[in-house]
Amino acid sequence: MSVFNLEALLALLGLFVLLLEAFVPSVSSKALAGICVAGVAGVLVLLVTVAGGQEALPAFVGAYHQLDSLAMFYKAFALVITFFVLWLTLEASPYLNKFSLDGKLGEMFSLPLFVCVGMMWMASAKDLVTVFVSLELVTVSFYVLVAYTRKSALALEAGVKYLILGALSTGVLVFGVAWVYGATGSLSFEGITNAVQGGEVNKTALLFGVSFLLAGLGFKVAAVPFQMWVPDVYQGASTPTTVFLSVGSKAAGFVVLTRVIEALTVSGSMVREEVITVLSIAGAVTVVVGSLPALFQTNVKRLLAYSSISHAGFLLLALAARDSVRVDLSPGGTVAFYLATYLPMTVLGFAALIQMRLNGRGEELDDFKGLAQKSPSLALLVTLAFASLAGLPLTAGFFGKMWVILGLVDQQLWFALACAVIGAAAGFYYYFRVILAMFTPEESTEPFRMGVLARAVCMVLGLTIAVLGVYPKPLQTLLAKVPAAGTSASGH
Amino acid sequence: MITLNHYLFVSGALFALGLAGVVVRRNIIIIFMCLEMMLSAANLALVGFSRFRVTDGLPDYAAQSLVFFTITVAAAEVAVGLAVIVALYRTRQSVEVDTITRMQG
Repeated sequence: MSVFNLEALLALLGLFVLLLEAFVPSVSSKALAGICVAGVAGVLVLLVTVAGGQEALPAFVGAYHQLDSLAMFYKAFALVITFFVLWLTLEASPYLNKFSLDGKLGEMFSLPLFVCVGMMWMASAKDLVTVFVSLELVTVSFYVLVAYTRKSALALEAGVKYLILGALSTGVLVFGVAWVYGATGSLSFEGITNAVQGGEVNKTALLFGVSFLLAGLGFKVAAVPFQMWVPDVYQGASTPTTVFLSVGSKAAGFVVLTRVIEALTVSGSMVREEVITVLSIAGAVTVVVGSLPALFQTNVKRLLAYSSISHAGFLLLALAARDSVRVDLSPGGTVAFYLATYLPMTVLGFAALIQMRLNGRGEELDDFKGLAQKSPSLALLVTLAFASLAGLPLTAGFFGKMWVILGLVDQQLWFALACAVIGAAAGFYYYFRVILAMFTPEESTEPFRMGVLARAVCMVLGLTIAVLGVYPKPLQTLLAKVPAAGTSASGH
Repeated sequence: MITLNHYLFVSGALFALGLAGVVVRRNIIIIFMCLEMMLSAANLALVGFSRFRVTDGLPDYAAQSLVFFTITVAAAEVAVGLAVIVALYRTRQSVEVDTITRMQG
């Protein structure tokens, strides 16, 4: 038993749940969710305990699969977010199953497992073929997940939009891969690294391919100018799926982007300057384009969608600051840290939206009015989550944003720095608008109920945000092992 | 004599045609066909590059293996995609993109 078998194990569990739902119609949503949650938790335990490292791999996959610390981190990340998504699906099932065709949510429990498998394989990918196949496993599963609650007109609309733009990004990505292969003669990250260092590459062809490749990946992580699908899809999809897209899909896109960028910007690379320029401009514009519409949003789910674009911009900027060494974290490490803090606050924010729906409220800003009177504990936790998303000091979100900004100062990317500061300042405005709404008194006698499990999980998430905000050292130490650009792929 | 440039030109033309179709056409089924055309363009480029990178008299097969994966994935995408489009047609009685504009802003 090695780490290499875990994905297969999880895929088998996914198939089992899919067939169980089809052949035993009497099985309840709770039982299905229980099996999946237990399976994901079990695999997470195995990931930490069983033998890891490159020697755990069978010889024949050594060329396609790697188990470095970055891969291990993103595997654990994929499992954790899948765990929370399954819990959110169960939590939201009382209202979600009204929108599915047969009043059940069978595939909404098995499909996240396949998405998780795709994300785990992607974390280990060593070449663009593996990246492509695992990325498509994730994307095609998401097509179904987004459109699954199809009795809701918005979900179906979101599903079609995601389908068309997702398929478009796939076409662009493969076209880019073809040209990168044509220019460098290799599909593996190692081969591409060597080729761009060697200098015997047609630079025009390479840049042509790289721009399509980055555009394809830009779709997946919602970078400008490929972000237009995000607000509609996030708003229309069921809330657990939105969380999965916002955290899981973004993390999957960024692990690939981290590896691609590292291969292309290795020291001595012929396209290093161009790639860094594109990244910093795309990141800076993404931060602003995500932040400005969020200022005027009254629908909180849509507001979180725009804010998610802005976070993607910050992550791109973290990758653009190539040589920043201020916090012992490589650019890839900073991205991983940012995503690790982004997970609890996003899950908590959306979990609150689900609790609102369960209590017969909507997702508009006005629906948040009076929440502090009805449920002081939830209001407090949501305040923590939104303050952290804004990047308030002493919350988890602060360090990620601060390190990105410090990295930009180090690299003297002034345009990007200005945009990042504008985006962060706008963030304070639109997140605190929601917090303000919660603490606005409202005359209403309806009670606000919350289950024991929901209360407990929200508490844990809130605690994580607070602890990481005060004491980020353990996570930082864990990620300090992530090697910097050039050292992982070519080993010099 | 057909050279690599001929293949790349046809591939680029197919890709541009597909992209133009996605942007211009309003029928979702046609848009989907155009998307498949873009994938075929990428496949053609991959096979072309692979065939003309000869070592020891044999082409480099790495890229051609990617083509098989692309074809498989495209089939899966069509299966899911058409199902979603059928679901849309059942509720709206139309597959025009102009009917899916409820969310804006």
